[in-house]
Amino acid sequence: MIVGNGAENFASAFREDFDLDCPILVDPDLRAYRAAGLRRGRVELLSPRLPLNALRALRAGSRQTGVQGDPWQLGGVFVIRPDGELMYRHVSREAGDHPPVDEILEALEEGAEPISDMSGSSAGQVWLGRALSRVVDPFIVSSFDRTGFRIHRLTFGADDLDVDLSGRRCLVTGANSGIGYETALAMADLGAEVVLLCRNAERGTEAVDRVRQQTGNSRVSLEIVDMSDMESIRAAAARLNSTPIDILVHNAGVLPDERVESRDGLELTLATHVIGPFLLTRLLCESLEKSSDGRVIWVSSGGMYSRRLNLEDPNWKGRDFDGVLAYAETKRAQVILAELWAEELRGGPVVVNAMHPGWADTPAVQDSLPRFHKVTRHILRTPAEGADTVVWLAASEQGRRSTGRFFFDRRERKTHLIPITRESQEDRRALWALCEDLSSKS
Amino acid sequence: MTTANKLSRIELSDWTGQQERLGSFWRERPIVLVFIRHFG
Repeated sequence: MIVGNGAENFASAFREDFDLDCPILVDPDLRAYRAAGLRRGRVELLSPRLPLNALRALRAGSRQTGVQGDPWQLGGVFVIRPDGELMYRHVSREAGDHPPVDEILEALEEGAEPISDMSGSSAGQVWLGRALSRVVDPFIVSSFDRTGFRIHRLTFGADDLDVDLSGRRCLVTGANSGIGYETALAMADLGAEVVLLCRNAERGTEAVDRVRQQTGNSRVSLEIVDMSDMESIRAAAARLNSTPIDILVHNAGVLPDERVESRDGLELTLATHVIGPFLLTRLLCESLEKSSDGRVIWVSSGGMYSRRLNLEDPNWKGRDFDGVLAYAETKRAQVILAELWAEELRGGPVVVNAMHPGWADTPAVQDSLPRFHKVTRHILRTPAEGADTVVWLAASEQGRRSTGRFFFDRRERKTHLIPITRESQEDRRALWALCEDLSSKS
Repeated sequence: MTTANKLSRIELSDWTGQQERLGSFWRERPIVLVFIRHFG
């Protein structure tokens, strides 16, 4: 059975054109599309592609002459059994994103297993999600995995990301893979102009091409910058400042297994996670303040919960280098920097928040924590699940309601689980001074 | 609520203008429900 979103006369013409003998229904109000949880594209739907591979198979040599109905509505395919079990679901992410026919045929075979059916959350599911969150969250690390995400997702507002970001310009550092890439992809999908800030020109160009291809959004570009290199940041900021900036996502991260020095003689983790982003925020501040709705988002890590802010030897000159420790300490510093920047910019149009993505299966984890990855890969979140809260903070109305806060799975969270990790006011001021000092020296 | 539940009560008109309840299409046998972007 086919459901389309135009008028009846188009449906009957379509039926004749394609020589179809299955029922065709029309849904101009998109009621069934909404009930099925189908997406509305927010990007330019460019090429006249066939509605479905299945139809292509039905009749070769088809033509598409014009579009009627809601041109932004995307499609999908469902297989439903008489007992109401959902056997198959494919929700198009973009025009031309069609499911393989053999997957659909498989779902129709006798003995096929139903799939889990959570297209949206009912009040009961929201309640269940909250109740389960209360049970799971105290074991906070366990809720960082994909089960945690799937439980937390039950409480997500269905319309939070039903927004149109055309006219907004969004910068994402470390955007060529993992959470940065997924963030860039989602922001482009919602219609924003997206600039991917990457170190490597080749991988960056590849990522830009993929985002363009996957979203159909052509306003996606690359800016080469090394977030550990202050000179490179200054040069990039000068170029980026020529156009207004609405959203800045600090995502770039490293986890070296030995002490590496940046061009400015700083330990690489410190330079990339703390000093570089501090400088970039400072340099782009003016452009962000020109936006009516400026947002800065720091992608921290759940690993920061284990560490207190440590400014005794941030450059690792006097202690044996431990990459995981350096990572956790700088991730703690990021959470505090987000709070300090929120204070600095309070009263203006810019909000600054931090978040952590949970444990996601990204290239960074695969490369830097191979043993962790080997043990946990079956429970890790997807990069897109990890990026969800970044996108929510960057795009949703809710994302501008707070500043100086810390989020995980679209909810504000405590920044300390144990009292011993709390820093003093003095340490907070010292962190700011350290950033000012180290970012201006070079 | 499951997807089937939500969809089954929705009534849409077919290509001839006749109103049909979506749920009636999978009462007897499994159905492949194809939502297309647009006709043509």
